[in-house]
Order: sequence, then structure tokens, then C-alpha cells
Amino acid sequence: MIAAVPVETERRAARTGPLVELRGLTVEYGIGEGAVRAVDGVDLAIAPGEILGLAGESGSGKSTIANAMLQILRPPARIAGGQILFENEDLTTKSREELRKFRWRNVSMVFQSAMNSLNPVMRVGDQFVDMMRAHERISKRDSLKQAEGLLDLVGIDPRRIRSYPHELSGGMRQRVIIAMALALEPELVIMDEPTTALDVVVQREIVQQIRTLQRKLGFAVLFITHDLSLLLEVANRVAIMYAGEIVEEATSEEIHRAPRHPYTIGLMQSFPPLRGPVVRMSGIAGSPPDLAATPSGCRFHPRCPHCLPGDAALYARQTTERPRLREVAPGHRVACHLVERDG
Amino acid sequence: MSQIQVELQDQPFSPLSAPATRRGIKVPAWIVLLLKNPKGRVGLAIVLGIALLAVISPLIADPASATNFSFATRLAPTWHHLFGTTDQGEDVWAGVVVGARRSLATGFLVALLATGLAATLGITAAYVGGIVDDVISLVTSVVFVIPTVPLLIDVTAFLHQRGMTTMILVVGFTIWAFEARILRGQALTLKNRDFIQAAKVSGESTWRIVFGELMPNMISRIAAAFVLVFYIAIIIEAGLEFLGLGDSAKASWGVSLYWATVNSSVLQGEWWSFLFPGLAIGITVLGLTLVLAGIDEVSNPRLRGIPTRRALLLRRRGPA
Amino acid sequence: MRWFLRRLAFYVFAVWLALTLTFLLPRLMPGNPVGGLLQHLSPSQIQANPGIIATYEKLLGGNHESIPTAYWQYLGHVVHLNFGISTSNYPAKVSEVVGRTLPYSIALVGIAFVLAFVLGTAVGTVAAWRRGGGFDTFFVPLFLTLGAFPAYFTALLIVYFVGLKLGWFPFQHAYSTDVTPGLHWNFISSAIQHGILPALVIVLAYAGGWVLNMRTVMINTIGEDYVTMAQAKGLKDRRVMLRYAARNAILPPLNGFAPQFATAVGGVIFVELVFSYPGAGFTLQQAALGNDYPLTQALLLVFAICPIVAMFLTDLANLVLDPRVRTA
Repeated sequence: MIAAVPVETERRAARTGPLVELRGLTVEYGIGEGAVRAVDGVDLAIAPGEILGLAGESGSGKSTIANAMLQILRPPARIAGGQILFENEDLTTKSREELRKFRWRNVSMVFQSAMNSLNPVMRVGDQFVDMMRAHERISKRDSLKQAEGLLDLVGIDPRRIRSYPHELSGGMRQRVIIAMALALEPELVIMDEPTTALDVVVQREIVQQIRTLQRKLGFAVLFITHDLSLLLEVANRVAIMYAGEIVEEATSEEIHRAPRHPYTIGLMQSFPPLRGPVVRMSGIAGSPPDLAATPSGCRFHPRCPHCLPGDAALYARQTTERPRLREVAPGHRVACHLVERDG
Repeated sequence: MSQIQVELQDQPFSPLSAPATRRGIKVPAWIVLLLKNPKGRVGLAIVLGIALLAVISPLIADPASATNFSFATRLAPTWHHLFGTTDQGEDVWAGVVVGARRSLATGFLVALLATGLAATLGITAAYVGGIVDDVISLVTSVVFVIPTVPLLIDVTAFLHQRGMTTMILVVGFTIWAFEARILRGQALTLKNRDFIQAAKVSGESTWRIVFGELMPNMISRIAAAFVLVFYIAIIIEAGLEFLGLGDSAKASWGVSLYWATVNSSVLQGEWWSFLFPGLAIGITVLGLTLVLAGIDEVSNPRLRGIPTRRALLLRRRGPA
Repeated sequence: MRWFLRRLAFYVFAVWLALTLTFLLPRLMPGNPVGGLLQHLSPSQIQANPGIIATYEKLLGGNHESIPTAYWQYLGHVVHLNFGISTSNYPAKVSEVVGRTLPYSIALVGIAFVLAFVLGTAVGTVAAWRRGGGFDTFFVPLFLTLGAFPAYFTALLIVYFVGLKLGWFPFQHAYSTDVTPGLHWNFISSAIQHGILPALVIVLAYAGGWVLNMRTVMINTIGEDYVTMAQAKGLKDRRVMLRYAARNAILPPLNGFAPQFATAVGGVIFVELVFSYPGAGFTLQQAALGNDYPLTQALLLVFAICPIVAMFLTDLANLVLDPRVRTA
């Protein structure tokens, strides 16, 4: 599989247009009156081979987007509207079997909890075999051989295919899952907080490894985390989510250099930069809104330092009108009344 | 998955596990929740309905006709004898409603005794820990695998006086073990909560913490365990009577079943003599099971079924 | 290995406790059991069996020995299976009565209870997987209701409706009176036919508990990340359900098997009584009513040891099914 990589990368680079495109994606928990919108009309595109970062606080809908893309939402969560286009084909209209084949072959996922993502009663190797044989006609022996190669690729002793998950450390388990995610050479790998459950040293190693592998194999990555400073290091482009909406989207450099949304600015200040001098952290006052009763107008307005009754006209807009995402610079979109006013 | 789900699931836990206030009588939140739960509501209605029948039984049936051979024998159900009469000429309806008193009272008292033992031992074991926990847990797990019914049969065979008190003591002292095990596990999770630790640090005595802090805060769990033991006690108690090891001269559901088999009513086709007392046990147990299922669903919302309409909509999207 | 040694210590302790319990019970009870027992034998019967009184006294107490000596003598008798003569089956020995009746019970309960477990966990698995669907809303309440009926009541219903009214299967005794027990087809087919209804009762009475138990555990397991990941891996639904969700969810119910078995052993007594099935349970009930104490003591021991054996077997199953136990 490794030999096939250069050709594969070329093919991907040659294609034009986004790999995945979300159009107005809406995910609700429940039905009718009590329904809670976890994701509300999200537009987002991922280009082939790029690393797109998705940042936001807990409960902002990041993981829900990831699960919706693979169509593995658990009831009562369901896609209530919008489209998920993969290479211009809408996934929401696909049959069960088509979806099953699509999963992992085209989009794979590294889950948040390394500790719980592997079946505790199956050997690591068998979990590779299971996955490979769900997608291609391959003997058990050959798939185990491939699994050994993949483990080697992520720096784990290939003999570990005989191990059970509880015999591996947290970092090793996460590497095993990364190896699994790469096995079918998917176009996109979703990484949902891949390092949160691990200690800091292992975190660094794993992030390094993801970047190396991505450069080598050329797959696109949707990297989800609440750690914006980590994201700015890893991702080409970053989208910031707040209360189920995307509030800002730009290249990492742009976000780093000139964040526009007050929430983004707040997020930047809540994490110490990984390198550089120690700075005072201010963070964001208040807590994320209850999605069952989202604030009117701009959802961020109750926590926004720039939402003050002083400017009556602006205040009225902030509290009653939903800001729309608009382009403030090439490739830099922001949903904020302040920016609209300035621009 | 997403954190949202976790929050939604956590919510109903809080009324159950919030520190209970010791002053003032207020309907606890979990009872309100239980009444809102369909299974809990139906279950409670059944149990209270049967209890009401037992209480008013002298008004709706003649207690004497439950045990006296005062009518024609082997009558199928008619207007005069709603549930028919037995081989010996007792009225089955009277037997069922009057017998309800004895069956329910025995079950209730057994459950009370067993729950008292189980709560004290289980919670103490969890809270004190160490060697005390080891010993209690060992005894519990051994008593747990000793089959209750054969033991009870053996004990009642030796006892020549077979009254209600004997029955309550014997059953109560043999079935507390599994309940103690459940409550111990639940107390363990509560033990490290802040308010318990705070009480410990402020120097309150072990007994005071066990009875004053832990028990009031486990009241819904203890109630669930009580309901469980209540219906097991009804089944076992009626079962022992059915085997002829109870006081066969008094009216109760188990005794009715005993006479129905002894007089081979079943083999002679007199279905009414065993059907109605048996149904009385079955319906009572079903009611208690529903109450228990309601309590379970209130404390673990994931178990709730999704309304069918929603399930239909979601079926296409993988496992529901 | 350490885990296994600890379990072994537990079995030994449990067996010891069962032995001690049967030693203490008759000695703690009011009255003199041996005196009551001897009333069931005529003087000539007692004379024909020299030493029978001493045997009874060693089992049941009353010979004024010190407790340690009495305990030691009691253990000696139990180890040699010497429980004397069963008064209600004179002149048969207690060990003969147990040996004759126990195989019927073991066959009946063993098969029926394993069937109940398999059926119950299977229904629970599917109900949880399609939670809120038609299967869940129909079968779960059905099994819940059946489980709410005590085994003896279900047994009476089955005897009356299926046995007596429909006449589909025999409902009394363990085999036809015209065949002699032995290893030949006539007897085996007759025994199977006679076992169907009692087994059905046990399955109906005990499957419900497993349905609920498995459904609850399964619903919690479905929420685990490894199940979501299995689905994300593009595995077929059935495979996710069986190899990822159910395979893990089965472990807690399996650990509840032995205690449940202890309960079922009790329920079997009722079933055997209703079907006049000549097993150990029916015999225990008869012995208890007839004050045949040596027989009740021996059977109580057997009934107490059965769940310990079941526990040993589930521990073995655990060892096979859960890799985490193997390294513990």
C-alpha cells in the first residue's frame, strides 16, 4: 500500500473542487418542541489533502459534525437538514449499504477516547482484519500482514497485533487507531480530539506523527479540538464554532495574525501558546449557551465584550439579528455585526 | 459522542443524587419523576389498586367464606360466585381478596426486614471499608449463592409452628444478601461525594454518616431495592405456602394454590380455583416490576424506549 | 492465575459454609429432630437396621458429643455419603434416593436454564439494538409479563391449557409407565416428551429476567466508543451488534448466571411438584412434609453445591470470554 502512495497523491492533487462540502448542515437532538439544535446550518468545505481545523468549546457541535459526516449519529440525534457532499455526491440520500461501504474506505475517523475506542475482548489484529474484510476481498492472513505493516508505520512493534487493548498504553492505543484509520487509504481522516485523553508528552509525539504521515500519504484531515493553539500549529485552515454555528473561518496564519470574531480572540487568549513567552490569559467570561434556549440575535452576545447598550443601533442588531458569515478578506469569513459595521 | 448527549443524560440524575435536606416534608423529586414515567405510573396504580382491595376486603367479600366450606363445591364462576367455588366449597373471590391481606402483609414485612438488614450491612460495608467490608462482602456473596427456597423448605420442615411470624423471619433473613450487594455498590459511588467527605472531615460519627447522610441520599436506590425484594418475597412466600409449608388453615394466595393442587382441581379441569389466586400474584408482581422499571428509567434515561414515530424516522440511520 | 486461586478459595469457603449450615440447622432448631424422625419407623424397622440411630444422631445432633467431635463425625458421614435410611422411602438409603432423583433434575434444569439464558440474552440483544422498534415494544413487555408470573403459576397454566386441554404433551411424571429407565431409545424419547412442558415453564419463567438484564447492559454498551467506531469502520450492522456490542454486553449477565441459577434451583422444586416430576426438588418437598430429615439435609447440601458448580463453570466461561480476566 505504501508504494501506491505517490500515484494516489497525484490523483488527489489533480482533482479540482472540494473533497467534502457541508451545505447548511443541521443536526437536531429529538423531534418537535423539545428538539435541540446541536449544529445549525453549517457550511464548510474541505479541500483534498488539506488539514482543516475545527475549534470550539465543549458542546459547540464539533463532534456532532464529525459523526454526521460519517452518518453515525445516535438517536435522538439526527440530520434535520442540509447536505453532506463527498466528491459532489450527497451522503444524506445514500442507502444503508452504500453508506457502510463509504465509511472508513473514503472517510475514516480517530476517536476522542483512545481508551475506549478498541473492542476490549478482541485482539488488535482481529480488529484490523474485521475492518479490512468488511471492505475488500482479502484473506485473514494478508490483512494481518498489512496490519503489521501499518503498526510499523506508526511506530508500534508489529507483534502487537496479538495483543488485547488492555495490554497497550493509552498512547499506543491511539497509534493503533491512527494506523487503522489509514489502512484503507481514505481521502479524509477525521481526528476528533485525538490527543485529549493523553498526557502532554505523548500528545506532542502523536501530533508530530499525524503531520508526518499526512505529508507522506497526502490524505485530508479534519482536525477537531478545543485547543486552538494546537490547531494553529497543525492546520492549514481553521474554522471556529460557537453554539452550533461557524463564527469564523480563515487560514491558520490569518487567524493567528488577525482574528476578527470576539469569540476567536477570547479563545486565543484562553490557551498559552505552545512556544514563546508566557502571557497573561484572560479567557472568555460566562459559559456556552444552553442549546435548548439559544440567545436571540448573535448567539455570542451575552458573553461578548463588545455588546454594550451604549451604541443603541448596534446593540439592537446584536440582540435581535443573526449575523451571517461574510468574507472580510480572501478566504477569511466572519459572522459578526462588528465586522459588518467596520467593513 | 457529543457532549450534548452526556449533558442530557446527566440531568435526570441530579434530582436523585442531590443532597437530601433533612428538615421539612417535601415530595422528593424522584417520586414526581416516577409519577411522570408511564411504566411507574401504571405500576403504582396496579399495586395501590390491589392494596386497596385488600384493605376493603371485608366490605366486598365475606371473610368467613374464604376458609369455611359454606357453599356448593366446584361451581364455575357465576354472578353469585364471581370466581367460582373450590372442591371444599370455599368462595374463590373471597379467598383472593381476603388472602391479599396476608400475602401483601407478609411480603411487605419481609421486604422491610430484608431491606433494613441489607441497607445497614451494605452501606456500612461500603462506607467503613477495609476488613469490615471484606467480611460482610464475603458473607453476602456466599449467602447469595445458597439457594433460598431449598433452605427455607429445610428450615420450615424442622419448625413445627408455621405461622406468619416464622415465615417473615425465615424469608427475611435469607433473601437480604443480593439486596445488600446492590446497595453496597451504590453506596461506594456515593461515598466519595463532597458532602460525605465534608461530614467525615467535620468529625461526625460513622453511624451518623451512614444513617444520617448516606441513607437519606440513597433513598431512591433503597426504594428500588425494597420493591425488588417485595415482589420476590411475595413469590417465595406464596411458593412456600404452595408447597404446603405455610399455615394452610388461613386464607392467602399461596394457600389457595396449595389446595387447588392438593385437591387436584387442575387435573379435574377446575381452572378457576388456581387461575384467580395465581393471577393475583402475577398482577401484583407485574405492578411491582413496572414500578421498578419506572425507577430504573428515571435514574437511567437511556433505557427509555424512543417513541415509535421517531424510531421509524431514525431506523434508516443505523442502530437505534 | 492469582484470580483463579482467589476463586478457588471462594469455592472452598462456600462449600465449607454449606456443610456447616447443614450441620448447624437441625441442632439450632427447637425440639429433637431424631426423636421426631424415629416416629416414622416402626420398632422392627429400627431393629432391622442396627446403628441407624447413631447415624441419625451424627447427622442431626442429640448424641451429647462436644461440638468439635460432633462436627468431625458429621463431616465423616457426609464425605462417605452416609446419610442413613430415608424414612419416607424405606428401606432405600438416602444416597440411593438422591442418586436416583438428581439426574432428572440436573438434566431438566441444566438444559432448560441454559435455554432460558440463551433465549433471554438473544431477545435482549435484538431489543436493545432496535430500541423502541416493533420487536422491542412487543417482546420485552411480553417476557416481562411472563417473568412476573411465578414459576408455579406458569406451571399450573401450562399443565391445564397445554397438557390437559390441548393434550399436546404428557404432563405428569418423567417418562411413561410402560418403559423402564435405561439407555435405550424408548426411554429417552419418552423422557424428552415428558420433559418438554416442565422445560417450557422454566424457560418462560426465567427468560424474562435475562431479557431485561441483557437489554439494559446492551443499551449501555451500545453507547461505548468502540461500538461507534465499529460502525464507523463500515462493518455490517449484524457484525457490530454481535461481535462488538453483544460480545461485551454478555459478560455482566454471565456473571449473574450462578446466583440466578441458585434462584432457579428453588423454582424447579415448584415445577417438579406441579408436574409430579421425580426429581430432587419434588423429593425434597415430599421429604420436608414427611419430616424425613436425613433426606432433606442431603438434598439441601446438593442444592447448595449446585450453584457453586455453576459458578465454577461461569468462571471458566469468563476465562475464555474476557481477556482482561486472564491477565488479572
